Amino acid sequence: MISPLSNPPLFHLGPLPVTQPVVATWGIMLLLAGGSAVLTRRLRLTPGRTQAALELIVSTVDSQIRDTMRAEPGPYRAFIGTLFVFIFAANWSSLLPGVEPPTAHLETDAALALLVFIAVIWFGVRAGGVRGYLASFAFPNPIMIPLNFIETLTRTFSLLVRLFGNVMSGVFVIGIVLSLAGLLIPIPLMALDLLTGAVQAYIFAVLAMVFIAGAVAEAKPETPSTKAPP
Amino acid sequence: MSIDWATLGLQALNVLILVWLLARFFWRPVAGMIEQRRAAAQALLADAGAKNEAAKAALAEITQTRAGFAQEREALLAQAQAQAAAARAALLAEAAQEAEALRREARAAMQTEQAAAAQAWRERASRLAVDIAARLAARLQGEAVQAAFLEYLLHEIQALPPAARQVAALEVASATEISAAAQSEITARISAALGAAPRITFKTEPALIAGLELRGPHLRISNSWRADLDRIEQDLTHDG
Repeated sequence: MISPLSNPPLFHLGPLPVTQPVVATWGIMLLLAGGSAVLTRRLRLTPGRTQAALELIVSTVDSQIRDTMRAEPGPYRAFIGTLFVFIFAANWSSLLPGVEPPTAHLETDAALALLVFIAVIWFGVRAGGVRGYLASFAFPNPIMIPLNFIETLTRTFSLLVRLFGNVMSGVFVIGIVLSLAGLLIPIPLMALDLLTGAVQAYIFAVLAMVFIAGAVAEAKPETPSTKAPP
Repeated sequence: MSIDWATLGLQALNVLILVWLLARFFWRPVAGMIEQRRAAAQALLADAGAKNEAAKAALAEITQTRAGFAQEREALLAQAQAQAAAARAALLAEAAQEAEALRREARAAMQTEQAAAAQAWRERASRLAVDIAARLAARLQGEAVQAAFLEYLLHEIQALPPAARQVAALEVASATEISAAAQSEITARISAALGAAPRITFKTEPALIAGLELRGPHLRISNSWRADLDRIEQDLTHDG
């Protein structure tokens, strides 16, 4: 069994080593993007079953964004939704024989956490400008600037570690049980691993929403109160 | 454990590309379709609302029109009743007029008939009276009556203008036959009254009842009871 901690390159693209998670990610990208392009080719006002299922996914993501971020989902839908769908697909890719989920590798999770970190800054700056975003670190007072900065880094790190730990441990446990016991013994553990994978995808997306929403809310300039003085 | 920075960068790039691809091929089209459906549903609802309002307005208009129909029907009914009443009154008036005219005509006819009947009865009564008088007068034939009629005749002759008295021939009619002696006397006296000597002939006409009548080509003196009775009858008849 290949350890999830090891990441040997499969081939090189010029100077870049292409590892197994990258190839698996390409496969997932091909599947998701190709499938989307095929399925959304003939959308109609009166939806069929497939279109209804696709619209259910979009509506659910929009609903989650509205509930969590208290904002219209338009600007965040693509990023948050893609994070969820990709992590979900990546976690469940372990169902395919010989495929190791990309999220079981530290680099993929780190890349996802890094994108969330950048997205927090991007949406924060877009909401309140550079000054507004930087000023949000001084909330509630300037003494909190170091702590807030460290919190920004650590929560990103926590995202990375949470996803990596859960997925990697699942793959690890199944690999160990599979090497020790028979063919059918790991099946319950694999089912549990699927559940864990779905939950982790949901948690990752929700936490990304929370971080972005926090940055946007703190970076936004205070709106003048419309309440009349008594 | 070490981090493969190249893989990290590639994965970050992959996820970014996937975000773009899914935004392009999944999130935007599907969300756009949801929005289109929502807009279509909104338009449909607005359209349905507008149609509902239009239907309500049409219903109100129909209700108003039906009320108008009822009013119009009532008005037409009232008008028809008024026309029928007027026509009935006109017919009644016309019938009354016709009845009145008929009554007048009948009354006039009745009066005419009554007048005719009265006239007929009067004529009949006159004739009867004349007949009675004639019968009664017929019993008074005699010399005295004859003499009296001769005196009347002479008196009438003397009343004639002189030109009328110049006649060549005359006829004397009497109810009874006159004797020759009496004829000579009568001829003499008439000639004296005329102042001339015309040729006089005598004729007997029982219809005269009594009296003498003198007749010439241009002269006629009716001096008999028949003539008197005829005048009386004529007077009685024309008096009615």
